[in-house]
Amino acid sequence: MVHFHIQNLTFQYPNKNRPTLDSVELTIEKGEFVLVCGQSGSGKTTLLRHLKSVLTPHGSRSGEILFDGAPLAEMDLREQAGRIGFVMQDPEDQLVTDKVWHELSFGLESLGTEPKIMRLRVAEMASYFGIQGWFHRDVASLSGGQKQLLNLASIMAMQPQVLILDEPTSQLDPIAASDFLNTVAKINTELGTTIIITEHRLEDIYHRADRVVVMDEGKVIANAEPRKVGKLLWQQSHPMFAALPTPVHVFYAAEGEGECPLTVREGRRWLTRSFENRQLTCLETDGEEGQWEDAPPALIAKELWFRYERNEEDVLRGVSLTVPKGSLFAIVGGNGAGKSTTLKALCGVCKPYRGTVEVLGRPLKSYQPGQLYRRCLAMLPQDPKSLFVKATVGEDLEEMTGDRDQIAGIARICGVTHLLEAHPYDLSGGEQQRAALAKVLLTQPQILLLDEPTKGLDSFYKKQLAQTLAELKAQGMTVILVSHDVEFCAEYADLVSMFFDGQILATHTPRKFFGQNSFYTTAANRMSRCLFQNAVTTEDVARLYRKNQEGRR
Amino acid sequence: MRRSKAVSLLIFLAAIPATLWLGMRLEGRWYYLTCTLVIIETMLPFFLAFETRKPQARELVLLAVMCALAVASRVVVLIPNFKPTTAIIMLTGIALGPEAGFMTGAIGAFASNFFFGQGPWTPWQMMAYGFGGFLAGIVFHGKKRPKPVLLAVYGFFMILLVVGPLLDCCTLFTTGSRLTWRFAATVFSLGFFYNLKHALACAVTMLLAGKPLLEKLERLVKKYGMMDARKER
Amino acid sequence: MASDAFSNCHPATNAVFFAGAIGFTVVLQHPLYIAASCVAGATYYLLLKGRRGMGMVLGLIPVFAVLSLVNPLFNTYGQRVLFTVWGNPYTLEALCYGMAIAGMFAAMMLWFGCYSAVLTSDKFICLFGRLIPAISLLLVMVLRMIPNLQRRARQILGARAAIGKGISGAAGTKEKVAGGMRVLSALTDWALEGGIVTGDSMRSRGYGSGKRTSFRLYRMTVQDWALMAAFAALAAATILAGGTEAAYTPTLSIAAPGWGLAAYGLYLLLPSMLHGKETLQWFISISKI
Repeated sequence: MVHFHIQNLTFQYPNKNRPTLDSVELTIEKGEFVLVCGQSGSGKTTLLRHLKSVLTPHGSRSGEILFDGAPLAEMDLREQAGRIGFVMQDPEDQLVTDKVWHELSFGLESLGTEPKIMRLRVAEMASYFGIQGWFHRDVASLSGGQKQLLNLASIMAMQPQVLILDEPTSQLDPIAASDFLNTVAKINTELGTTIIITEHRLEDIYHRADRVVVMDEGKVIANAEPRKVGKLLWQQSHPMFAALPTPVHVFYAAEGEGECPLTVREGRRWLTRSFENRQLTCLETDGEEGQWEDAPPALIAKELWFRYERNEEDVLRGVSLTVPKGSLFAIVGGNGAGKSTTLKALCGVCKPYRGTVEVLGRPLKSYQPGQLYRRCLAMLPQDPKSLFVKATVGEDLEEMTGDRDQIAGIARICGVTHLLEAHPYDLSGGEQQRAALAKVLLTQPQILLLDEPTKGLDSFYKKQLAQTLAELKAQGMTVILVSHDVEFCAEYADLVSMFFDGQILATHTPRKFFGQNSFYTTAANRMSRCLFQNAVTTEDVARLYRKNQEGRR
Repeated sequence: MRRSKAVSLLIFLAAIPATLWLGMRLEGRWYYLTCTLVIIETMLPFFLAFETRKPQARELVLLAVMCALAVASRVVVLIPNFKPTTAIIMLTGIALGPEAGFMTGAIGAFASNFFFGQGPWTPWQMMAYGFGGFLAGIVFHGKKRPKPVLLAVYGFFMILLVVGPLLDCCTLFTTGSRLTWRFAATVFSLGFFYNLKHALACAVTMLLAGKPLLEKLERLVKKYGMMDARKER
Repeated sequence: MASDAFSNCHPATNAVFFAGAIGFTVVLQHPLYIAASCVAGATYYLLLKGRRGMGMVLGLIPVFAVLSLVNPLFNTYGQRVLFTVWGNPYTLEALCYGMAIAGMFAAMMLWFGCYSAVLTSDKFICLFGRLIPAISLLLVMVLRMIPNLQRRARQILGARAAIGKGISGAAGTKEKVAGGMRVLSALTDWALEGGIVTGDSMRSRGYGSGKRTSFRLYRMTVQDWALMAAFAALAAATILAGGTEAAYTPTLSIAAPGWGLAAYGLYLLLPSMLHGKETLQWFISISKI
C-alpha cells in the first residue's frame, strides 16, 4: 500500500536562484521506515515539510504529492493534523504549554477530541512513553532528551499514521539521542506507524531503515536499502559517504570482502570471520602519536571546586589538569557531569571557591578582566546563537574590532567571507557556528575553549571544523574542547581526558585512552577490539585489516 | 464580532455605572472592591474582542513572545530595579497595534505574578501595563516610525503620569482608612521616586533598544504577515 | 511543599472559597472578624508553606504596626485626642481604625499568599480554559517562555563574558545599561525566531483547524460538592447573622458579635481543618502498620 506518492516535485524559494527540490520522485509505503539523508542544504528538510500542508514553505512549485491516493493539498487541515505527525529539530521551541500534561493533550484539544476520550488517550501515551512519572511537572524542569520525547509523545497521542521527524536528535547528547531513536523504532515495529526521518548521526539508525533516500542539491541520488546505498555512495565517492556508520567505512576503506556490515555487532562478526583460523601478523597500529609529556603547559588547573548555589551540590570536585601548549585537548564524559562548568571555570566565567588556574604561566586571578580576554583566552559557547547581537554577521564581527584586515583574515580562516552580509539567523547550524567561531577568534586568543563544538553538525561541517582547528593549531594556538563526540575526539584530539563525578580521571593520547576503554570508546574500537589492540579510528582498523590480509597473501 | 461589540457597549454603559452606583451607596470600605470591579470590567471588552477574533497561531505566539520578553527582560540588565518591561510593552503596542499592546501588558503582568505571587495588585498591574501598551499603540501605531528620542520622552512621561500613578492606586485603596487628598498626595509622592526610576529605565530602553526592537518586529510582521489576519476580517 | 488536602480539591471549590475569604476580608471592618481572618489566614498559610512561611507572617507584623500608626496622621476624625501632630489631632478612634485597616491589609496579604499557592496556573486554566480559550492558551505559552527566556538571557551573558564582552560587577552604570540592551536585542531575536518554530508546532498539531476542547485535569467529587455547600451555608450564615457592623470614627461603635462570627471563623478554617484531618488520618494509618 502506497502512503505518500511524490510525483515530479520541483520547488524553488522566492529568494533563491535554483530549485531547492528538483524533480523529486518518491513513494513511501505504509509501515515503512525511511531514512532521508543528505548534506546541509540538500533539500531534505524542504522535502519533509512538503509532506504536511501547514508546514509547506512558500515558493514556486510544480508536481504533485498524493497521500493515500488523493492530492495532499486537498486534504482537510484538521485531518492532516491528526494523521500526519511532524517532529522538528528544536526540543525547546516546539513545546507550546508550560506543563507536561497540557503539552500531551494540546493536539487532542486542537482537534476537538471529546474530554473523556482525551483522558484515555493521554493516559495511554503517558504510559507507553514512560512519562507518567513527570506528568504534572513544568516542562522547564525537563532535560533536552525528555523534552524531545514529550514532543514525540504529544504527537503520537493524536494517533498519526505517518510520523515525520526532521533531525530530531541533533540537539541531544548521544545517550538521549539513541534512547529517542529506540523509541521511534519501537513505534514503527509495535504500532506499524510509517516513519520518515532525517538525521545527521547515522550510527544508531542506518541499520534500522528499510530504505535510505539520499538527496543532493535537491535531487534524489539514491533510493534503496541501506547496504546498497552504502555501495552506491562508495562507488560514486560521494561526500555523503563520510556520514555513514563506522562499520560501513571500515568495510570499504579496508576493501573488505563479503557482505557489508552496518552495526558494530555485524562488523565484529565480519572481522572475526575474515580472520578465522588464522594467525594475525600485526595486532597493533603503529601510527605516530605526539609526545606531550615534556611540552610546556599553556594552562594548569589545580584542585578546582565549584558549586552554583550555596546549598547545592558541588559540580566540580577537585578538577586538576595540565594542557600542553599547542595541543588539542579534549575532555569527554557523560551528560550533566560538569564538563561545560569546567570550561567556564578555566576561562574565569565561573569562580571556583577553591583551587587555582594558571594561564600562560600566570595565575588567572592576576589578570585584569580586559586583559584576560584579549590575546589570551576565549570560549566558544555551546549554542552559537548566544553570541549574535547584531543584524548581520559582518556587524557582529565589527563589534569585536575595527580592524577590517583582521576581520577579513579571520573570516577567511572560518570560511564565512561570503556570509558577512547575511542575518545570523538565516544561516544553517554549521554556518552559524563558524560565524560565532570567527567572532571568538577576533579576540586573538592563544588558548581557545570550545563547548560541544560538533553538536548538531553534519559530517561535512565536522570535517571543516577539524581543518580550521588544525590551521589554528599550526599557528600555535592551544585548543581545549569538551565533547560527547567520541569519534571526533579520537580522530583529531592530541590528548583526551575522561571527566566523571566532578573530576578529571585520566588523560592519555587518544589511542591509549580509547584503546583501554571498552564501553566509552569509538565504534571502530568496539568493533575491532576482539582482534586488534589499539585501533580507535576507521583508518586504524582499515590499515590493520589490510596489513593482515597482505600477510596472508 | 457584532455580538462582542454589543457586550462591550453594555459593559461600559450599564455594568460600570451600576457598579459605581452600588459602591457609592454602600457604607464603609467597599471602595476597594468597587474600584477593582470597575477595573476588571474595563478590561473585559479587550479580552472579549481578543477571544471572539479567534487569533491565529502565529499571532498568539508573537504576543506570547513579547509578554515573556517583557517579563524576562528584568534579568538582562544587572542593575537592581532597572526594568525594561514597560518599554517592551509600549514598543509592542507601537509595532503591532493598541490591542496587542494591551494584551501584552495585561497578560504579561498576570503571568509574571504566577512567579512572584498574585495579590490585590494584580488587576491594577494588568490595567496599568495594558493601558500603557494600548495608549502607545493609539499614539504611534501605523505611522512613520517615531524617533528614539521622541519614544524616550513619551515613555518617560507616560510612566511618571499614567502607568506609575495607576500602580500606586492599589496602595492607596488597600492601606488607607479614609480617602483624603492628603493621604493620596502622600502615597503618590512616595511612589514618585520609584516611578521616576521606572520612567528613567523605560526612557533609556527606548533610546537604546527602541529602534532595533521596532525593526525586528516590523521585519517579522512583514515576513510572516502576522497581524494581517485581523485586517482581513 | 507538603501535600495539602484543600489544594487537591477541584479548582472551582478553591476559587469559591478564596472569593469568599478575600471578599469578606476586604469588606468586614469588625475587629473580631478581622482578627479571625488574620488568625485563620496565618494558620493556613503556615500549613501550606511550612517553616518557610514564617518569614512572611512575621514580616507582616512591622507592616501592621506602621500602617496602624501612620493612618491617624491622615484621618483626623475622632473625639479622644491623644496628642497633636503638625497641628492635627491624633485620635484614639483613628488609631483603632488604623489598626483595623492594617489588620485587614495583613489578612488580605495572607489570603492572597494562600491563593497563589493553591490556585496554580493548572487550576486557572481548568477554570477558564473553556470560557476564554485563546487567553488561557496565551497565558500558558507565556508561562512556558518566561523561564526559557531567562535561561537564554543568562546564557548570552555568560557567552559574552567569555569573549571579554561581559558586564562584570565592576563596570559602570553606563556599560551595564549598554551591555544589557545589547543582550536584550539578541534575546529578542532568539525569542522571535523560536516563536516561529512554536507557531509551526501549534499549526502542525491542528491549532486553528476548528473547534477546540480542553483537557480536564480535575473532576468534581462528592467532597467538592459537600465543601461548596458548606461554604455557601457558612457564608450565608455570616451575612444573615449580622453583628458585623463596626464604625470607628467619629465615635467607636462596634456591634456585639453573635453566632455569625462562629460561622465566619468556621468558613475560614475549613481548609486548615481539612489539612489537619488528612494529616491525622495519615498518622493513624501509619501507626497501625
